[in-house]
Amino acid sequence: MPSHAGTPPNDGPLIEVRGVSRVYRRPRSSFGRQGGVVHALRDVSLTVQRGERHGIVGESGSGKSTLLRLLCALDQPTAGSIRFDGREITGRPERALRFLRENLQIVFQDPMSSLDPRMRVRDLVAEPLVGLGLPVGNRVAELLDAVGLPAGAAGRYPHQFSGGQRQRIAIARALAPRPAVLVADEPVSALDVSVRGQILNLLADLVDELGLTLVFVSHDLSVVRHVCETVTVMSAGEIVESGPVDDVWAAPAHPYTQALLRAVPTLEGLL
Amino acid sequence: MTGRKARWMTRWTTGGRPGDRPGEQPGEGRGDLPDDRPGRRPGRPGGRLNAGLLAGGALVGLVALAAVASFFWTPHDPTLVDAAQRLREPGGGYLLGADKFGRDTFSQLMVGARTTLYVGVVAVGIAAVLGAPLGVIAGMTPRGWLSELIMRVNDLVFAFPALLLAVMLGAVYGPGTLTAMIAIGVATVPAFARVARAATLQVMVTDYILAARAAGRRRPAIAVRHVLPNIASVLIVQASVSFAIAILAEAALSFLGFGTRPPIPSWGRMLQESQELLFSTPRLALWPGLAIALAVLGFNLLGDGLRDFLDPRLRRIRAEG
Amino acid sequence: MLKVEGLTVRADGVELVHDVSFSLAPGERVGLIGESGSGKSLTALSLMGLLPEGVTATGRARLGGDDLLGVPESRLKGLRGSRMSMVFQEPMTALNPLMRVGAQVAEVMTLHGRPRGEARERAVELLDRVRLPEPARLARAYPHQLSGGQRQRVMLAIALANGPGLLICDEPTTALDVTVQKQMLDLISEVAPALLFITHDLAVVASMCERVLVMYGGRVVESGPLREVFTRPRHRYTQGLLAASRLTPRGTRLPVIEGSVPAAGHFPGGCVFRNRCPHATPTCETEPQLTEPQLTDPAPGDPAPGDPAPGDPAPGEPTPGEPTPTGDRHAFACWHPAE
Repeated sequence: MPSHAGTPPNDGPLIEVRGVSRVYRRPRSSFGRQGGVVHALRDVSLTVQRGERHGIVGESGSGKSTLLRLLCALDQPTAGSIRFDGREITGRPERALRFLRENLQIVFQDPMSSLDPRMRVRDLVAEPLVGLGLPVGNRVAELLDAVGLPAGAAGRYPHQFSGGQRQRIAIARALAPRPAVLVADEPVSALDVSVRGQILNLLADLVDELGLTLVFVSHDLSVVRHVCETVTVMSAGEIVESGPVDDVWAAPAHPYTQALLRAVPTLEGLL
Repeated sequence: MTGRKARWMTRWTTGGRPGDRPGEQPGEGRGDLPDDRPGRRPGRPGGRLNAGLLAGGALVGLVALAAVASFFWTPHDPTLVDAAQRLREPGGGYLLGADKFGRDTFSQLMVGARTTLYVGVVAVGIAAVLGAPLGVIAGMTPRGWLSELIMRVNDLVFAFPALLLAVMLGAVYGPGTLTAMIAIGVATVPAFARVARAATLQVMVTDYILAARAAGRRRPAIAVRHVLPNIASVLIVQASVSFAIAILAEAALSFLGFGTRPPIPSWGRMLQESQELLFSTPRLALWPGLAIALAVLGFNLLGDGLRDFLDPRLRRIRAEG
Repeated sequence: MLKVEGLTVRADGVELVHDVSFSLAPGERVGLIGESGSGKSLTALSLMGLLPEGVTATGRARLGGDDLLGVPESRLKGLRGSRMSMVFQEPMTALNPLMRVGAQVAEVMTLHGRPRGEARERAVELLDRVRLPEPARLARAYPHQLSGGQRQRVMLAIALANGPGLLICDEPTTALDVTVQKQMLDLISEVAPALLFITHDLAVVASMCERVLVMYGGRVVESGPLREVFTRPRHRYTQGLLAASRLTPRGTRLPVIEGSVPAAGHFPGGCVFRNRCPHATPTCETEPQLTEPQLTDPAPGDPAPGDPAPGDPAPGEPTPGEPTPTGDRHAFACWHPAE
């Protein structure tokens, strides 16, 4: 992917997470009483290569959402290091994260809540550009077209769209600054089955066309298998298994992965 | 008809009822826009919204009209003491009669509306301009020392009775409309700050704030572009309630002699002056009392109506209803 | 046991559910499938008499000897929670956060006339029956102290408290993790007397039910034995939905149903699916009736299994082309069915 100005070319992995832990302190329940601690992530390490489609699978409480926030520098790890394109992103103030914001964008799970209801689609899609001080120009129309929405959508509010269409808006917005990496947090789990296909197809097309690196988070290993080449399986804040998704699918090594695979009902298996 | 039904569907699919999850979306599609998909977010049953807004607007408009008109014309000079018209019954050019000094009640009410609006606007303005940003700052940095400081000072001011503050300010700087307004305004700051903080806290945990941060937005931009628009409805309601309270407070201060100075007419002082004649000539208390009640009601209705009117999620519904 | 005929649900003159008919025999498990906005939840709620204000249901629905539609609320109250009960999607919102779960289970029983002490004992038994660990201790917990899966088990215990003949589940596992979902589904199929299972998830319904009704636009577009409907879908919507549910290998495109599910009240006349159907013809502007495949239809490998449901008189000889609304056989409402 194009290295942006100021980013030194780097042959190493694009994303490198090393020994990351995140501990949350529960808020004090009352004066003087110390709250407990929650280990959301314990010593997590993972690498994502340029152009890779990497899936992260886990259930609620597995730490996948926490990991995602750390990758996007929306939260700070308690310990460990996260490097993007060779540069450390932890411990930096927001103003020193421009290289990350320009190159890594995120699509959230629920397009109902991730789009500000008070903003028009035009402003929502342009926000990453405005936030980074990049020229907007004709980009909004271009992006809406790329995700299969008519230009007329620009003047509307998110609630006027169906769930799938809102997810298209969220994708257009994420692609605005021409990022190298797209992080998708359960992008289809809030959608109906027939819509799921439309959004997954769109994501696959865009990743192909734009040569994106994709980090795809899901609770559903079968969806990850359709989208990604490699997978990391998480449980209770730890990585329990990782590797090529087909290998993990065919021969899961960890008991948790085995249980996960057994639990997912599939039409093929039942008919 | 579609509008009403859809509003119901809306409540149904998004209102937290066990419903057709996943996907509150009734539709999906590549390319085609939902041409006539009416409001799909929780909304109150319609009709009432508009009625409230209109009634509130009408009442406030009436007060404003009286205030503006009073600059150009009143039936009589509201400050003119005329012994001949003392306690004159309504009629013959004196629409609502005259008070114990022979001043025309109707004219006094008109000029009093001016005082009322003036006090309300300035007091609420002070409260909103100081309180809302403080509340937003406190809400955006909930664990920071600044937030703590703001909220503790806030509590301090909150604990201090507004009327006492006005009386104190009056004692130091001399009683007057301006003193009253500043006192009422400062005393209302904590209410605004609290409401703004609570609303900000709610907004800050939403995904769209996270999305804005991921998009590279800095805090001030998030505050202006995302937080303020999304807490505006709450602030507007607060403003209308505060406006109503300010009107009452001014009336009370004037009644106590710490507000608007004679001879400038004020609804509160009209009440005070009518006190001794409450049983013999109750109309002298009735009219200013009614005026205060209607103005307060008007601002409350207007606030509620505006909140809904300003919500883009409800706008479409109205267009179809 | 349950017999629904011509159930139609309206709100402000708009039909949200149109002419739905089906029956359910004791011990039978029937799935009601549909995407959001299909009317599947409304169908269930109208049977429970839990429709929101301003929404009315007409038609006939009988549970055993009791009418469910058009009867006063007081009659329904006696049936709800005792003869039939329902489990919702969100266990958190359905439980009272300020009441111990044991007391909430006991409450449904005292409401239906069981003495308090006995109800308490039985509540613990029920919590044990839904396989909650240490039921006696857990009965004293508050909802927020339980996990999502445990809360849903408590909901199931409440639903089963009075030994209902019919259990209606509306997306009971959608909010749960997959591993928890599996246990919950196993539990439901074990304890359910007769089951009406509502879901958008075809795989889940396939693991639970013997018979399915596929809903779209407030209508049943296809129904019949699950295996038959899923392996040989005839309605183009069912066909599309099944295709969209299968995740093809990486690098291939997923099959999709084009277009949007219209908002309620904006479905096309005639066949409700025709504006999205790739096979639509002008004929589709006429409303197709839900009919069983005509006898001339070959279907060599799959002779329609008689599957006689006890207590439900099969609708005699299916006259070709005639509506057979309560039939248990494979039926569909499509002018150009898939082969």
